[in-house]
Amino acid sequence: MKHVLLAALLAASSLPAIYAADQPAAPTPTVKVGDMAPDFTLTDQNGNKVSLHEFKGKKNVALAFYVFAFTGG
Amino acid sequence: MQAFQQNLTKLEAADTQVLGVSMDSRFSNQAWAQQIGVTFPLLSDWGGDVTKEYGLYNPQYKAARRATFVVDKDGKVTDIKLDKEAVDPTKTVEACQARKLNR
Repeated sequence: MKHVLLAALLAASSLPAIYAADQPAAPTPTVKVGDMAPDFTLTDQNGNKVSLHEFKGKKNVALAFYVFAFTGG
Repeated sequence: MQAFQQNLTKLEAADTQVLGVSMDSRFSNQAWAQQIGVTFPLLSDWGGDVTKEYGLYNPQYKAARRATFVVDKDGKVTDIKLDKEAVDPTKTVEACQARKLNR
C-alpha cells in the first residue's frame, strides 16, 4: 500500500513538469538595457501617427507593451 | 493601461511620455481608450512588426508579452520590466523619477 501511494505521489508531482514542457517558452526581449530603442511609427487610437524619434532630446518614453485591449493591466 | 493612466501625473512630472503598444487594431484601441479613459497614445502594431522587433511576440497568444521599456532622451533603453512588474507601473515610475533626478 505504501508503494502504491508513493507511486501515485511521484506521478502527481511529475505532472506539472510534463504540462510545462508542453507550453512554448515566453518570448525573451531582444532589446536589452543599454541598447538604442528601435524606432517605429505607429497609429494611435485617434488616427495620429506617432514615432518614437519625436521624443528624442525632449522626453523619456515609457513604452508599455500590452497583450490585448479590453483586458486588465 | 489603467494603472499607467492613474500614474500619468507622476510620469509626466518625471518628463516621461507614456506610449501603450499592442497588436490590436486602432479601432479596438479607440473603443477601449474611451471606455477606460486613457488619454495617452495607444499604438496599434497591427501585424506585430514592432512587437517582433522588440522580441516580445508570443506565438501562443499571437500577441505581445507584457513588457515596459523606459527609453531615455537619447533614445537608449534604461529599464525593462516584464509581466507582473510591467502591469504595475510603480517600478517604472521610480525608474523615470530617478532619471529625472540624474539630469
